[in-house]
Amino acid sequence: MTDSAAPGRWHRLETGALLAPALLLVILIFMLPLGRFLSLAFTAPGGTFATFQVLSESTVYRRILLNSFVIALVVTLITAALAWPLAYLMARTRGAWFTLMMYGVMFPLWISILVRTFSWMLLLERQGPVNRLIQALGVSQTPLPLLFNNTGVLIGMVHVLLPYMVIPLYGSMSRIDPRLMQASDGLGAGLWQSFRRIWLPLTMPGLAGGATFVFLLSLGFYITPTLLGGRSSTMVATLIVSFITEQFNWPMAAAASIVLLAAVAVLMLVAARFLRVDKGMFAR
Amino acid sequence: MSKTLGLPLKLQALTKRYGAVTALEPTDLEIGAGEFLTLLGPSGSGKTTLLNLVAGYTGPSGGTITIGTRDVTHVAARHRNIGMVFQSYALFPHMTVAQNLAYGLEARKLPKAEIAMRVESALALVQLEGYGGRRIQHMSGGQQQRVAVARALVIEPDVLLMDEPLGALDRQLRRQVQLELRRLHLKHGRTTIYVTHDQEEALVLSDRIAVMANGRVQQLGTSMELYARPTNSFIAGFVGESNLLEALVTEVSDGTARADIPALSCGVTAPAIAGVACRRPAQLAIRPEHLKLATGTAEGITGTISEMTHLGGFTQFGVTLPSGAVLISRQVERGDLAPGINVRLSWEPAHALIVPAENI
Amino acid sequence: MNRLPLGWRIATNVAAMAVLAFLIAPILAIIPASFNKASFIRLPPAAWSTLWYGRFINDPEWLRALWNSLQLASLATLIAVPVGTLAALGLARSRAAGRLFCSALFIAPMVVPIIVVSVAIYRSALDVSMNGTLLALSLSHAVLALPFVVISVGISLHAVNPAWSLAAAGLGAGPWRIFRTITLPHVMPGMVGGAVFSFMTSFDEAVLTIFLADYSTTTLPVKLWETVRLEFTPVLAVAAVVMTGLSVALFVLVQIVIRQTGDKA
Repeated sequence: MTDSAAPGRWHRLETGALLAPALLLVILIFMLPLGRFLSLAFTAPGGTFATFQVLSESTVYRRILLNSFVIALVVTLITAALAWPLAYLMARTRGAWFTLMMYGVMFPLWISILVRTFSWMLLLERQGPVNRLIQALGVSQTPLPLLFNNTGVLIGMVHVLLPYMVIPLYGSMSRIDPRLMQASDGLGAGLWQSFRRIWLPLTMPGLAGGATFVFLLSLGFYITPTLLGGRSSTMVATLIVSFITEQFNWPMAAAASIVLLAAVAVLMLVAARFLRVDKGMFAR
Repeated sequence: MSKTLGLPLKLQALTKRYGAVTALEPTDLEIGAGEFLTLLGPSGSGKTTLLNLVAGYTGPSGGTITIGTRDVTHVAARHRNIGMVFQSYALFPHMTVAQNLAYGLEARKLPKAEIAMRVESALALVQLEGYGGRRIQHMSGGQQQRVAVARALVIEPDVLLMDEPLGALDRQLRRQVQLELRRLHLKHGRTTIYVTHDQEEALVLSDRIAVMANGRVQQLGTSMELYARPTNSFIAGFVGESNLLEALVTEVSDGTARADIPALSCGVTAPAIAGVACRRPAQLAIRPEHLKLATGTAEGITGTISEMTHLGGFTQFGVTLPSGAVLISRQVERGDLAPGINVRLSWEPAHALIVPAENI
Repeated sequence: MNRLPLGWRIATNVAAMAVLAFLIAPILAIIPASFNKASFIRLPPAAWSTLWYGRFINDPEWLRALWNSLQLASLATLIAVPVGTLAALGLARSRAAGRLFCSALFIAPMVVPIIVVSVAIYRSALDVSMNGTLLALSLSHAVLALPFVVISVGISLHAVNPAWSLAAAGLGAGPWRIFRTITLPHVMPGMVGGAVFSFMTSFDEAVLTIFLADYSTTTLPVKLWETVRLEFTPVLAVAAVVMTGLSVALFVLVQIVIRQTGDKA
């Protein structure tokens, strides 16, 4: 850090030494295994791209991939709708109330996804409190099947992923200069107009960021869909696992993983472009 | 009574290059023990680079640095026994004033009792007795500056280095602190190198000043020498102010030169600095305070007053010549001068100087 | 800010509170569930009892799972914190290109879907016959925890002024002294935060551990996962409460550390 005698070389050596353990760890335990596993997709007996062929041709697998996309999309929409009022209120509150709400939003993130999913198993079962409430309210005569289907998966995933939508949305809302709305008002725009043309677009970066994050996480979700879902609501992650544990078919598992990673990568690139354009348009 | 502590410093052909860029040209400099030398220059002149080389924060590309009898060119900063005062002070925020001062002494593994004693006397030296337990954040800018100086002095350095330490202070405070630093130097008498871009500050603080630009020491001398005999046009314009006009030298002899001055539409004979020669770019330098204006006669060099500004103790005039050039003159008394009036320009023969042109 | 009509404002506030309740309340369901007396879970319990807590404590398998979780989380933290701190220090001194590349590498475990990471590591562990070993588990958990440490320490390093190191060096301090007296005090909060995040990440980690752990190294989340598909008794809720209890304790710890660092500034 301070030896001036031969600063260039020594400095670089020291920096390298500092980074080495972490690099070693990540490369050995993460990069190499990942590379090795993904390369298995090209080692099926039927040919280099046989696995991808099977994935694209089989209706079962296509349905599962589609299902994953649809569920991820629906989860994203619902979380966006739910996050909105909460983020809005948080952006307008200060002091103790704000701290309380912030804790409330952060707290679930500290609880294991397994525990959170499990708690929904308790609530959504046929004799569970939710169904009893529904029947008590007269909405239905018989218990509704809320578990082991897409409904249960949606509810569980929305619950788990909601904080990841609230926080970025709150972030962009809190950064909006209140004087912009005053200026719009002063220029004669009606309340709804100001809202639609000033407020809403300025929350876009936060919304886009949150939506991207939630969507990407949803695609690769394993615990929640597996515990709360049934046969008809299989997602990509469950598919990958079943390839391995039920069929011992590593190449197919690797192929499905590549498809998942490709979808994640493409979405991240699109989001990056979209977010940057937004920032340019709404420079603060 | 002033004592002389600290060691003499000698730089020989000291150079610093960053790839293709030379931040410091080969420089020779000798500083006597206990001397206060100022490095004066604009940003990028190489003064901070030179300071960092002496401190040991960067290694030289060539040349040597000798402190006393020791060659420290390849010695690490922490072994050079130099005291550095940074522009930003770089005081440790998570420590008290006393802990900051004790830091260097603890690094030298001195006994606790001695550390405590030296910290106390250092605090007394900068007039911060009793502030030992204070946190840095709770001190004013001026106080922090004094702590920074005390921290550098408490380790009894062979050389004290100061990198524009007054930059963050407001004008009034700066004046005060400049005088304090001078008094302080008389008390501790350590060899000091002081870096600044403010030429007034240099003139207040220093015995000798090294004017730097473009990675070179342009001139080394006392403030009087720099003022009266600048060795090139840059120094003439940087130390004090000068009117600088292109001079086409026609003959040189014995410290005097004759040159055609296009802007004045005439020739001039004036003292010349060594290095002035025919066919070499040169400039005529006349300081505004030496340029006299007179009404009445229409002979000689004439011009029209184009602007007039009151600057406290004197009035400044802009005079436009027929050639289009504008000269600045400063007079203590306004007389009957006003914009629009034609004046005759003149100066004492000794006050004009022909200097080599230097483009910085 | 802007003034919505009163009706809208009330509606928004009510909706916001409802969402907040939706976030928190379901998690709390595990608490009454764990106090069921009967062997099936009913909410609220027909009869309250700490019977199943007793069953949990007296069951060697659950206890071993808990012990394994604590041990593994500790090991993962012991690996991730020093490695991550050194990495963050190295990143701070790196030049732009190298820094970008290395940061991307360190953050990657957070970005790639966990299912793919888990299956990939599982495969490699099988290849070298290290499946189920504590070593493989510790290293894998450390890799997952690493990004948190690097980010946390990186943030606290940001507040360190490089001029301080120069000043300290000029005053005669060697690299170790500088690290100890200047860098470390500023980096400590980041290290503590990173340590807590590491511990929590490892303790709660389910997906990777489901594959990588074997009978003797099963952790609490994995045992919960396996048991939930076999028998749905209140002991599951007890396990969930134990896991949550620890998360809450860590959450509180972090808030305290944040308060402390705030005061010190």
